[in-house]
Amino acid sequence: MMRPGLARDAAVCAAGLALLLVLPLAFPQPALRDFLIYVMAYGLLAMSLNLLVGLTGLVSFGHAAYFASGAYMFGLLMQSGRVSIPVAIVATVAGTALIALVIGAICVRLKEIYFSFITLAFQMFIHSIILTWVSLTGGDQGLMGGIPRPPFLGINLNEGTALYGFCAAVFVACVLLMRQVWMSPFGYALRLIRDNPSRANFVGIDVVRAKLGIFVFAGAMASVAGVLLALFVSGAYPEFGFWTTSGEAIFMIMLGGSQLFVGPLVGAFLLQLLNRTVTIYTEHHGLVLGLVILLIVLGLRQGVGAFLFERLARRRQARR
Amino acid sequence: MTKTTGVVGRRAFIGGMAAGAAITGFPHIAGAQAKAIRIGLPTILSGRVAILGTSSRAAVQLATQQVNDAGGIAGRRIEIVDRDSKGRPDEAARVTRDLINNDGCEIVIDGEASSGAFAVHEVVRDLGVLCLHTCSETSSLSADPKLFVKTAFRCARQGIHDAVAGGTYASEISKAKGLKKWATCSPDYAYGRDNTAEFVEYVKLFDPQIEVVDQLWPKLFAPDYTESITKMLQVKPQAVYSALWGGDLVAFIEQSNLYRLFANTAFFSGGLGDPPVLSAIKQLPPGLNTAYRYNRNYPANPENTAYADGFVKIAGHESTNWGWQNYLATQFIFEALRRTGGKTDGGALAAEIKGMTVKSGFGVDGNITMRESDHTIINYPVAWGRTVPKAPWVEGFQAVEWAKILELEQQWKKSKGYA
Repeated sequence: MMRPGLARDAAVCAAGLALLLVLPLAFPQPALRDFLIYVMAYGLLAMSLNLLVGLTGLVSFGHAAYFASGAYMFGLLMQSGRVSIPVAIVATVAGTALIALVIGAICVRLKEIYFSFITLAFQMFIHSIILTWVSLTGGDQGLMGGIPRPPFLGINLNEGTALYGFCAAVFVACVLLMRQVWMSPFGYALRLIRDNPSRANFVGIDVVRAKLGIFVFAGAMASVAGVLLALFVSGAYPEFGFWTTSGEAIFMIMLGGSQLFVGPLVGAFLLQLLNRTVTIYTEHHGLVLGLVILLIVLGLRQGVGAFLFERLARRRQARR
Repeated sequence: MTKTTGVVGRRAFIGGMAAGAAITGFPHIAGAQAKAIRIGLPTILSGRVAILGTSSRAAVQLATQQVNDAGGIAGRRIEIVDRDSKGRPDEAARVTRDLINNDGCEIVIDGEASSGAFAVHEVVRDLGVLCLHTCSETSSLSADPKLFVKTAFRCARQGIHDAVAGGTYASEISKAKGLKKWATCSPDYAYGRDNTAEFVEYVKLFDPQIEVVDQLWPKLFAPDYTESITKMLQVKPQAVYSALWGGDLVAFIEQSNLYRLFANTAFFSGGLGDPPVLSAIKQLPPGLNTAYRYNRNYPANPENTAYADGFVKIAGHESTNWGWQNYLATQFIFEALRRTGGKTDGGALAAEIKGMTVKSGFGVDGNITMRESDHTIINYPVAWGRTVPKAPWVEGFQAVEWAKILELEQQWKKSKGYA
């Protein structure tokens, strides 16, 4: 059955996709496309993590493992030369979902800090595999030799505009899918689990199964983010699966707001923008980023996205 | 940069977004001159290995200053635009794209460590600009034909050349002094393990009586090496090889001094020869064997001394290995630009650079060649010397014949399926 509001969400997504596709026509510099692809890839990672953090109350410190898994699986499949890009993406998402299922089956039985630590432990385990399985992954040099992008269905991703358009379409499709989960009865069950797991249990929700479901889904979405970045940088690197990448995703959520669906995307945009501009002007980017974020946190006491959304809502109310 | 204030109105919000779009959409042209040739330098300028980037930048700045003072090339000045990749390969790919697409750089000097260099290599494959890798010592970057990129070159020493030279030098000493019991102590990551394996392979090839009695793998960037040092003392090796480098090597040597490790053990290091590393060691023991990385007295010629003095003026310290490699890269680029009359097309410049020989104070016989077959330099100084406690810190350099290096390199390439 169609969820109420799905049509509106689909329309918003279609408008968003149209905007993403029109932007490079208005500003034809490739730098804008490059920037937006980074925002989309990291935004997707942060939004998928927020399905665990903001929606379910599961603070995963190991989400980048699925991001790396997506990048490496896709890269290796494409380097094998046996599959097309769409098949490789589907196989990557399925493979990562399977990994997330195995890891999640262990992790979701734990709560709070224990959950966080075990996810971190699994991430470091996967990171170690990437580093030590040199013959497959290239070790700390990363996946070398580039990732081939053979044309499919008349689409040639070796062309910058086509690659950007493809990334935008995949990104918007994933956002719509996550929005569907966010607003679905399943999403509301997850909110109940976050706020009161005992009550959720009493009303007949299988808490472990629900948590596992969203864990696997979030992992699968993170793998798509990894695919987008691997396609763009034409490689996969162990840093994709390091704990700092998970930390960055959590940072994006905090910066944008965890209770707003697009909050992590706003956070990803701001962090990429800050990172990009600050790096141009100073080598002390860590200091500048820290200060800016300190000001945002102390000044707004919430994510920028959530703050802006609240302001707009208040204005609308005041006008009525 | 978008500024966030306490109250954000719709207009302010839209203005902020427009400013954001402008920042992301338009080229950053701080101080740019319309006719200048812009060279992008993605490198590591922050963190524990920042000296890699800062010394690379200083050398490129020195060369640029010199060429601009002489009137530029074909009437165009040279501008360097550097960016910090923070040592992350994905960031290296991003900043390289930015340098080309946003900052208008027409040539790239890739001052990235190995993993970043592979990332930059792929960007160059995509965008087709001329690129000279100046810091990656991983042989496969240029040796593996599968990774070949028409417009990418390596202007840096490489592992296989150093391994042959190190094996040759160390085996001569081991035969002369009867050093048969060896141990290794290298950082536990791909470079540390590969570099050590290659050194051991060649030292055993030249002196088959050598036996490696223990191999220790402390973590990269470990602050404390006492566990490795005491383990080594227990097996009493006659000689130790280490692929530690930078601050890790400084810590290892200072801690080894406390245990008097070097009193009865010969020490061979692939990374000790960088003057800033040598000068950072408070009590540098004499007689440690190190590969040449850079030295103002070797090769002994006025060009090298002039480079060393010029570098010190800009950087405030002696040059590193990365410094001379970057300086040399600019010599290749500038010569190619002269030959093309200032034309910056990647293919045209690459056609000039492949096989090019430049006169250089760093060359063994005053020349360094960019080998045409695999786009990598040869005939650069591959020598080993012994430490002395004061500047210039390393003396008595013994060069290894390039003919021997090239012969064994060819065999190595065949064994790896590269040739």
